[in-house]
Amino acid sequence: MWSPVFRRSLAVQEVGVGQCSSSEPKYFNLTIKIYFFPMTSTSKSDVLLIERIRDGDSEAWGELISQYEGRLLAFVESRLNHRASSEDIVQETFIGLVNSLPNFDTRRSLESYLFSICAHKLTDHLRREGRRPTLPLSSLADESGSSWGLEGNVRGASSIVRSGERRHLEENSLIDALREQIQYWQKRGDWSKLQSIELLFVRGWPNKKVAVEQEIAEQQVANFKFEFISRMRSIIKKQALSEDVFPELYEE
Amino acid sequence: MLEKFTDAELEAYLDEELSAEDMARVETALRNDPALVNVLAEINGRRDMGVHSIGAIWRRNRLSCPSREQLGSFLLGILVDEQADFIKFHIQKVGCRPCQANLDDLARQQEETEEITVSRRRKYFESSAGYLRRK
Repeated sequence: MWSPVFRRSLAVQEVGVGQCSSSEPKYFNLTIKIYFFPMTSTSKSDVLLIERIRDGDSEAWGELISQYEGRLLAFVESRLNHRASSEDIVQETFIGLVNSLPNFDTRRSLESYLFSICAHKLTDHLRREGRRPTLPLSSLADESGSSWGLEGNVRGASSIVRSGERRHLEENSLIDALREQIQYWQKRGDWSKLQSIELLFVRGWPNKKVAVEQEIAEQQVANFKFEFISRMRSIIKKQALSEDVFPELYEE
Repeated sequence: MLEKFTDAELEAYLDEELSAEDMARVETALRNDPALVNVLAEINGRRDMGVHSIGAIWRRNRLSCPSREQLGSFLLGILVDEQADFIKFHIQKVGCRPCQANLDDLARQQEETEEITVSRRRKYFESSAGYLRRK
């Protein structure tokens, strides 16, 4: 039997194609095809919830806590394996949210925002426990003499210092293009391409390792990468963004 | 032999976005290899200077993450194979922490008693509701 929770989840789901055998109970032979929608903005129901909370509605605040506390607790607990400390961090996360809510941009995903506050609180906790290193403020102060020097035709650090606002604009310019590309692959069923690009850029794996993992030829991975980089470069050019701040797309 | 990590993995470590297992691997390596702290500092410095990475943008904006409802369907085993395979890949190979947390939470809802959940939520509420703006 399905639990009420999962029944509720299914009820609000956008279904692309459903198949059902008439000879068997529906819940035994149901397959669902759903387009993946990236979580890049706050849902309409969350926007309404936030508006109520901004108006001081404590009931809405309780609803938000009920909706999100479980996933935040699971996020923290996977690292701490200690329930009481994990609950304390979730508690701090909600206090962090309520304090920053007046400035929250509802074009962002509320869930992602909550996870980012939670990650900061968790990082602070782990630093206090000595599990995470405290890093020098800047690599420029690094005594090892090593440089993060950009390779190829890109300029050095001093010429590309960006304001937070500028960085935000640059990132947003790329988000739409990336989102569009990912959805295109998903709709076409180009799962191998999507997975290869995710391993190449999100995990930073080399072509060879990706080819082994995906059980495809290394040349095929190289082709996926070339095609993806070409597309990203053309977007950067079209939007007149600086190549300097996307060095991985211009490495030889 | 010292363990190797890619820059993308170390950047994800800085943002607390690797899987719990990979986070622990990096922490073990940091204890055994002080030079790794410098590598992390370099990555941090690069970010301070405004350099973007596709991986960080992808992760931060959760561009390929399934929704919570889709994760629920995955747990029920009712997604078509190719989509279920992608979720498995995304969690196990890419190591997406927020998606893993959602999945763990959905699975836990099956097991936890209502009393425990309500008590925990009450604690969060009581400690934070005082910060709400008064009408």
